[in-house]
Amino acid sequence: MGKAKVIDDPAIAILYTREPSGIRGSHVKAVVFPEEEKDVSLILKTAYKYNVPIYPQGSSTSLSGNSVPLEPGIVVSMERMNRVLEINIVDNYVVVEPGVRMEDLNAELAKYRYMFPVDPASSSVATIGGAINNGAGGLRGAKYGTMRDWLLAVRLGIADEEGSILNLGCYTVKCRSGYDLARLIVGSEGTLGIVTRAVLRITPLPEDTVYALSFFDSLEDLMEAFIEIRRSRLNPFMLEFMDSATVDYASKSLDLPYEPKGNLFLVGIETSPESNQRILDTLTSLLESHGAHTIITAHGDKEAHDKKLFAVRKNLFTGQARYTLEKEGSSGRIMVMIEDIVVPPSKVPEAVTLIRGLGEKYGFTVFIGGHIGDGNLHPAVGFNAEDEEERKRVEQWFHEVMEIALKLGGSISAEHGIGLLKKQGLRMELEYKNSLKALQLMKEIKKAFDPKGLLNPGKVL
Amino acid sequence: MNDPRARIIETAGKCLYCGFCEALCPTRPLGPHRGYGPRGRVNIAYMLAKGDVEASNHVVESLYSCLLCRACELKCPIALPIAEIIRNARGLVAEPGLKASRTHSINRVQVFARRT
Repeated sequence: MGKAKVIDDPAIAILYTREPSGIRGSHVKAVVFPEEEKDVSLILKTAYKYNVPIYPQGSSTSLSGNSVPLEPGIVVSMERMNRVLEINIVDNYVVVEPGVRMEDLNAELAKYRYMFPVDPASSSVATIGGAINNGAGGLRGAKYGTMRDWLLAVRLGIADEEGSILNLGCYTVKCRSGYDLARLIVGSEGTLGIVTRAVLRITPLPEDTVYALSFFDSLEDLMEAFIEIRRSRLNPFMLEFMDSATVDYASKSLDLPYEPKGNLFLVGIETSPESNQRILDTLTSLLESHGAHTIITAHGDKEAHDKKLFAVRKNLFTGQARYTLEKEGSSGRIMVMIEDIVVPPSKVPEAVTLIRGLGEKYGFTVFIGGHIGDGNLHPAVGFNAEDEEERKRVEQWFHEVMEIALKLGGSISAEHGIGLLKKQGLRMELEYKNSLKALQLMKEIKKAFDPKGLLNPGKVL
Repeated sequence: MNDPRARIIETAGKCLYCGFCEALCPTRPLGPHRGYGPRGRVNIAYMLAKGDVEASNHVVESLYSCLLCRACELKCPIALPIAEIIRNARGLVAEPGLKASRTHSINRVQVFARRT
């Protein structure tokens, strides 16, 4: 491959052993940077021959320990394979290399008034390869779903004698070529192969949008408004929520043209210039009738940004991090554990109530926010990562939050994946669903793709 | 706190590793690895200050490839003083006894910086 594509300096290699969850992996022998598909093939072929564990990585913004190395091996960083290879408007797809950042892809697509709608909070740095392997979602999930709804095909390198590259899936929406192996790669977290190229569906940018940011004194009133919107035919692409305590912390230090007081509810709906006002009137009236004391509306993304409608919601992680920093003082390393459960949207009110109660039981300040349009909640707790006792208590809290999701008919992970953090949770979910045998099936699938168990060993299963 | 080494440990040690800083960094897309972005540099500075890594050529190139433009600081959720961390870390690698190979690395990065 050439020396320039391999770095074994420990000071650089260690940068590829971490992620924002605070989970730290073990040292690796080297980081390898493929620049084209044949490099990936060579890496897989060589690793297979010499039994070297491989940890594929995008930008390491995952939150469940998904890509950190666990044993001596190599990290394969896909960051240099970052080209948009084809934009096909007529056939509605793009072909990209795995290292393309999601926002960079959207910047290219915007030239054609198109978009790739999956938008995790980390989309400014998250890569397509990472998003496929993590099964990423985002704020637009209520209408547009997650990566599994937008992946058409992949070219996948597997660890065998040849370092084979397989074409899985089709360039068309309709595709019935046996088992759906392309979508099997979604959420596989680098345990089955290395994506060298992805074919993704794209969609036109909406003609217009309207937004309403509202605040409610009563959580129950907000939840009723949410359920009413779900019943309506408004079909929002964005339904974001934060509880009142979280709003207080997340709005500190923000200079806002409104008073952020109470439980926050942010709704975004795609419209046309003809329907803008009618839909906004319907939405405002619905929010008012359910007791919203403050409603700020906007036509289009620019006005929504100018009026700072997204500012508090976007400051959720920052608010949590700064609150923890203040609480823990200057000593120690802080860590923010972000949960990622999903429940049927109708069960969101119950889930929020139970999570609040759980926080009180543990004495934690739990920040509760989430993409409630698709039932995805991200309760988060910040703590001193060097306090082992506290870490154990947070992990126990994590476990109990997952139990709440299962009891309400949901799942332990919506979009962050299993990684290391939720391996027990996956088992718990399958046991809860009386389907533990599925775990064995998953292990067999892993073995069929990766018989020597070299790809991201120790993760998911 | 006047001791640059202690100051790096106090500040850089807080990095959450979210990577949001990399989105705005002008050198990150041009560099060959994560060390050419703020997240990498801050963590290299921390390890260097703690004595966990040596000032290898890669380390020097990482620290000197920074333009000190502070774009990254706009995105940092905990408002780390990233440019200050980099300046202090450069002071550590430039302590007396700088090896010729390190000088070579600095010169190489200056060429890189002019190109960007």
